[in-house]
Amino acid sequence: MHRLSVSSVPRIVAALLLFSVACFTQAEPFSLDGDPVVAFIYASPAKDGGWNEAIDNARQKVADELDVKVMVAESIPEEASALVNAVDLFVRRGANIIVATTYGYSEGVKQAAEKYPHVAFLSATGIYNSDNLESFYARTYEAWYLAGMAAASVSNTNKLGMLGGFPVSVVNWDINGFALGVQSSHPETTVNAIYTNSWWDPVREGQSAQSLIEMGADVIANNLSSSAPFSAAERNGNYSIGFQLDMSDAAPNGHLTSVVFNWDQYLVPTIRKIVEGSWTPDPYGAFPGFAEGVVDITPLHADVPADTRAKIEEVKARMINDHFSPFTGPLLKQDGSEILAEGAELDAGQIWDMDYLVKGVTGSTR
Amino acid sequence: MSFISFWFASIPVSALPLLLACLGLILSERSGVVNLGAEGYMAVGAMSGASVTLLTGSPWLGVGAGVLAGCCLGLLFAFSVAVLKADQILSGLAVMAIGLGLSGFIGRHWVHQPFNGMTAPDLPGLQQLPLLGGLLFKQPLLAWVSILLVIVIAWTLHRTRIGLRFTAVGEDPAAADNAGISVPGVQMLAGMLCGALCGLGGAYLSVASAHIWVDNMVAGRGWIALALVVFARWRPGRALIGALLFGAVDMLLPRLQAQGLQVPVYLMGMLPYLLTILVLVLATRSRYRDEPAALGVTYLRQDRH
Repeated sequence: MHRLSVSSVPRIVAALLLFSVACFTQAEPFSLDGDPVVAFIYASPAKDGGWNEAIDNARQKVADELDVKVMVAESIPEEASALVNAVDLFVRRGANIIVATTYGYSEGVKQAAEKYPHVAFLSATGIYNSDNLESFYARTYEAWYLAGMAAASVSNTNKLGMLGGFPVSVVNWDINGFALGVQSSHPETTVNAIYTNSWWDPVREGQSAQSLIEMGADVIANNLSSSAPFSAAERNGNYSIGFQLDMSDAAPNGHLTSVVFNWDQYLVPTIRKIVEGSWTPDPYGAFPGFAEGVVDITPLHADVPADTRAKIEEVKARMINDHFSPFTGPLLKQDGSEILAEGAELDAGQIWDMDYLVKGVTGSTR
Repeated sequence: MSFISFWFASIPVSALPLLLACLGLILSERSGVVNLGAEGYMAVGAMSGASVTLLTGSPWLGVGAGVLAGCCLGLLFAFSVAVLKADQILSGLAVMAIGLGLSGFIGRHWVHQPFNGMTAPDLPGLQQLPLLGGLLFKQPLLAWVSILLVIVIAWTLHRTRIGLRFTAVGEDPAAADNAGISVPGVQMLAGMLCGALCGLGGAYLSVASAHIWVDNMVAGRGWIALALVVFARWRPGRALIGALLFGAVDMLLPRLQAQGLQVPVYLMGMLPYLLTILVLVLATRSRYRDEPAALGVTYLRQDRH
């Protein structure tokens, strides 16, 4: 009997690869097989009071505004194998648009996207992009810049505090955006940043907020999602700023504003394009901001003076219409060394690599 | 000066949940049972404490619910290891996973709902005392209950008949059995008390410290409590010292950052765990052998020597 020799295997594999590459290069724009069915996959419960909930609000809009079936899986572990399993099950049940909602899914989404070339993948804070996979995150620093302008206008001590999880770029750029917004009107006001070294530890978050307040900070900007820092701020009669969702309920007296996501402004049009067959994933991932309506700030506290409100509206309009970036030179690091010369602007890649804090911020990114 | 007094005042927030869990684990290990479920008991304790506080408006009822929830889960563990003779390590890990899962599942209705919880009673003059005013007098009543529990448990273990039985079972279950002590009975009691105390520690986190419940808020504190047991050499008094030390280190990090010092975040985050390893190494090098001799050994009457 004639058998395939072992030595011929690499050649066959190579031929198959070439064949598949040839197939792939023709697949543009992405086209969907069958009726659109969307599946959202969360790493923890959807109603988590923060990140997931912001996406889940958009899921509701997707279901309401588009004629698609929407399915949900919660608490899928952030491991490639677990995610691929979940995708397998969803695809078997007819899903062909998968929204993976956490950074921890990046690897799994990449594998699943290779396994199912006719399924569309959207990966929140993901790191990969391909012909059927687009990662997305938002220019949150734009909204934090405006929140910084508001915070500076109400501070009496000229000391502001900010809480973040880990010193990674998506947190660093919020702190830097906030600080630059503060400095745009109050150059002497300092921002004191604390990284709690955790995304979820309300005890530590409350204590960190408390220690910032004890050091004289009278506005607490919270880049994390538990309400413990707001309670600390309320107790001491200080202002606070929320993130991801409108946190005004957590701080009825001192809530200055919240930096919020409107993910429906990205997901609804993107999924509509996928359904209509006009979607081509951005090879660098989607990175929408104010102009696309994906980030925003909630209505300001009554104590924010009228001239500051006017200025905030003006800057917001410039962000929407002229793509004004908070990261426009001159930009200095904490130690005073120059990041960016006068007039230059950080590009998306440089923003994603942000591993420093700007001048006027105390805190360590190491 | 104010830095130190503020820092001191915050230490119990971190230290007392650890202390309570550690006390429970001491009781369990004194009776010869290694209990890896602490993280799970604390999780159900924190969740039950928050949910009952939200439902009834009474933080003390919440704390009671936390104790009860931890106790029930502790009973499940104790029954499987003391009566059914299941493997202690595996049962402990299973109970931990059950606790984390259950708390997340049941608690999803109460997640992220801030409540007033338990706050420090007003003691105007005393709270303003320099250095120690905040540490001693700006704490919720539960803090005093915790300290009282250290004394009660130390006294019970060293001075009462039941304490002696715990030690006898942990040192030599066969001899204890011969002397007419019910080994499963003692271990069941220890397991329940361990769950209850860990549940109390969890309730401290949500009801007295954070005033909110979120999934996974115990954040590894159950494991640190387990290491504290070794640090404390199975003694309640030393558990208090160890917990205060851990709490002090834990609470120093945000305060140093708030001072504007360039603190390496990741390195400082490792500190409690480095401290744990150091303590474990030093503990094993200690000349005194105070580990219960039958710790981790499943006692089967028919295998009695």
